[in-house]
Amino acid sequence: MNVSGFDLFVWAATFLGHLLLLFVLWKRRRAAEFPVFTTLIATDVAKTIALYFVLHHLSKGTYFYSYWSMAVLDEALQFLLFYEIAVHVFCPLSVWANEVRKMFIGMVCGSALIALLLTLLASPVTQKRIQAVVIRGNFFCAVLISQLFLGMVILSARSGLPWKTHVARIAQGLGVYSLVSVVTGAAATYFGVAHDTHTFYVLARFRILTYFVCACYWVVMLWNEAPAPRELPEVMRTQIYTLQKQLEYDLIRLRSWRRS
Amino acid sequence: MRNVSFVVLVGLFLVAIAAVSLHYYLRARRSAQTSWGDLLKRLTWIDRNSIATIALDVIEESGEPRHRGDGFALDPASIWTLLGGLEGLETLERNCQVLIDLAAYLQTWYPEALVVAEQLRLNAREIEWHVGRLRGAAQTGNLMESFAAYAQRAVVTYYLMTQHLLELYSHAGFPKLAELQQAL
Repeated sequence: MNVSGFDLFVWAATFLGHLLLLFVLWKRRRAAEFPVFTTLIATDVAKTIALYFVLHHLSKGTYFYSYWSMAVLDEALQFLLFYEIAVHVFCPLSVWANEVRKMFIGMVCGSALIALLLTLLASPVTQKRIQAVVIRGNFFCAVLISQLFLGMVILSARSGLPWKTHVARIAQGLGVYSLVSVVTGAAATYFGVAHDTHTFYVLARFRILTYFVCACYWVVMLWNEAPAPRELPEVMRTQIYTLQKQLEYDLIRLRSWRRS
Repeated sequence: MRNVSFVVLVGLFLVAIAAVSLHYYLRARRSAQTSWGDLLKRLTWIDRNSIATIALDVIEESGEPRHRGDGFALDPASIWTLLGGLEGLETLERNCQVLIDLAAYLQTWYPEALVVAEQLRLNAREIEWHVGRLRGAAQTGNLMESFAAYAQRAVVTYYLMTQHLLELYSHAGFPKLAELQQAL
């Protein structure tokens, strides 16, 4: 495998960016708030080290299988991250509102269906069958994740659920990266990798560069503190919690009345 | 040829995503810039006395349910007239969204008011449920039979929501409480 100076630069820069991001997550105590996001970044660091070792000391075939098995893990973590963000937005009090949960499940199913239909239409020209599977797999994940993030934005706007600053920044970064991945995935399908792999590598570099920019964005945004809220006076805090209990009681009573 | 149609479809998909994102981004920006006065303007006028009459027919002023025989004096026709039919109920449903926004407005100042905003949201869904049932009944020609039961319950929920919201704002010592009381 030919690795250019640019590839090495991006590889090293992304690795350092991830290390910096992990430091920010630890130093600013965001890791406990976003465990999946932290795991995703830590996995990326471990992946970079492992792949560097495999590339220089093991066979090309081993590198290939290591790369793609780790890519599967990466995609799985991205879906979990999506869920983590959804939990922050849709159940801030640790309880999912019924109607939001139903809409959320519908949104996931609908998005998966659209992503599947678009992926089935993709027929990249490749030398090996595995290359087509990889291109289609990447494209499917990118389409699905970009739709899910859009769906979350719609659902939160319709339900009147505000996004906290750091959750919104993580989602923005991942959303932009997914959209760019859709574009590069579609272009890779169109051009294929049968005769000329140059275009495919240019697209891959563009996608990785976008990810690097997103990582830098996360470093800056997660280092900054969210705008400080006004301090709630103690008297009002007590009154608000009393009021909440009263509302809960009203709701239970109204529901039982509906059944009677 | 298949790849060309694929690219066209992906292009349409991206345009749709960009358009919808832009729409919701602008909407979120607008609502973040919404002033107190703008929110109040969105409230559609409803006769407070009618709402109170319908609600207090089945609950006490404290919010406790009345016993059968004590209250329950309104017949379906009176409720229909007082509320202004299904249209009145739909106005009530639209106002619920404003009530949620009013709670969210307070939440921007005091994030811990989130718990109350959450409960108001659930109350609003309750009302949507009642109105949805009535819309279904209207389609099957059973509106009048179902109206009294569902409408009165929706009005009770709305009445309690307004009371709770006023209470919340009054506890917060919000300077524009008088305007809110007038609007509700």
